[in-house]
Amino acid sequence: MQQAGSSGSEAEVTWEDQQNINSFGRLNNRLHELDDEIKTAKETNENLEDASNELILTDEEIVRFQIGEVFTHVPKDEVESRIEEMKEVTSKNLEKLEEERETIVAQMAELKKILYGKFKDSINLEEE
Amino acid sequence: MSASASATERRGIPAAVFVEDVQTYLSQLNLDVNSALAFLQERLQQYRVVEMKLLAQQRDLQAKIPDIEKCLDVVATLQAKKGTGEAIIADFELSEGIYSRARVEEADSVCLWLGANVMLEYSCEEATTLLKKNLENAKASLEVLVADLQFLRDQVTITQVTIARVYNWDVHQRRHKKTPAATSSES
Repeated sequence: MQQAGSSGSEAEVTWEDQQNINSFGRLNNRLHELDDEIKTAKETNENLEDASNELILTDEEIVRFQIGEVFTHVPKDEVESRIEEMKEVTSKNLEKLEEERETIVAQMAELKKILYGKFKDSINLEEE
Repeated sequence: MSASASATERRGIPAAVFVEDVQTYLSQLNLDVNSALAFLQERLQQYRVVEMKLLAQQRDLQAKIPDIEKCLDVVATLQAKKGTGEAIIADFELSEGIYSRARVEEADSVCLWLGANVMLEYSCEEATTLLKKNLENAKASLEVLVADLQFLRDQVTITQVTIARVYNWDVHQRRHKKTPAATSSES
């Protein structure tokens, strides 16, 4: 975990520095959460892809589609459209998450510049 | 004087005091370095305990929300089928690995599990309203919880930085105590 280490340097820590360090910590936490969320979203996308591929292959007219905890008997066409909808939703969500991730990485790079600039060796902002 | 964070505490979590100057801080507290470090470490431990608790609550809420959404899905499906006069045929899990088929006709009402071994019957509309309200509440609680966690983590960071600075200050002091032998003007 990132923390302010020391090698006996003299730079004093101001409230602004502390706030920067706090922001960096928050962004880093959010980054890890985002990485997990992105992984889950990608898995969901893959599953939906697999599902729609299976749909094309099957010759059954009625497909068992999971709603809640039960599998309802739904005509193939309806299942197709439902899966398309779900794929749209997941793709948009994934896009949003990846955009947020990019923003956070950029903000963290900025803060690193500022903090390393002031504290040089006295601070360690790298992932262990 | 030490400047403090914008809130002195948040929902029972004490804010960490930001230290402007280590020397002043130590004399204010009237503690020597080791006692101060011990005090700060203890604070850090307390923060960690609260963090564990909040994280557990967060996990619970994060599991609850998709559950409520699934329920809303089911009720919506029942309502959609109501008009058509068709029955819904569904396969459900009777026991682990064993499924059975159910035929649901004209679903006018649903039963909702309220917890504590209580289940109430509601019309589809009422059920949707209740479930939506529960979903709103869960999402709002989650937001507050996330804000609490952020506040807590900030206090942890401030405390860690303070510990490092007190320690450094001490090292610095000791080093200076050693060198005066060459520069003292004792005669």
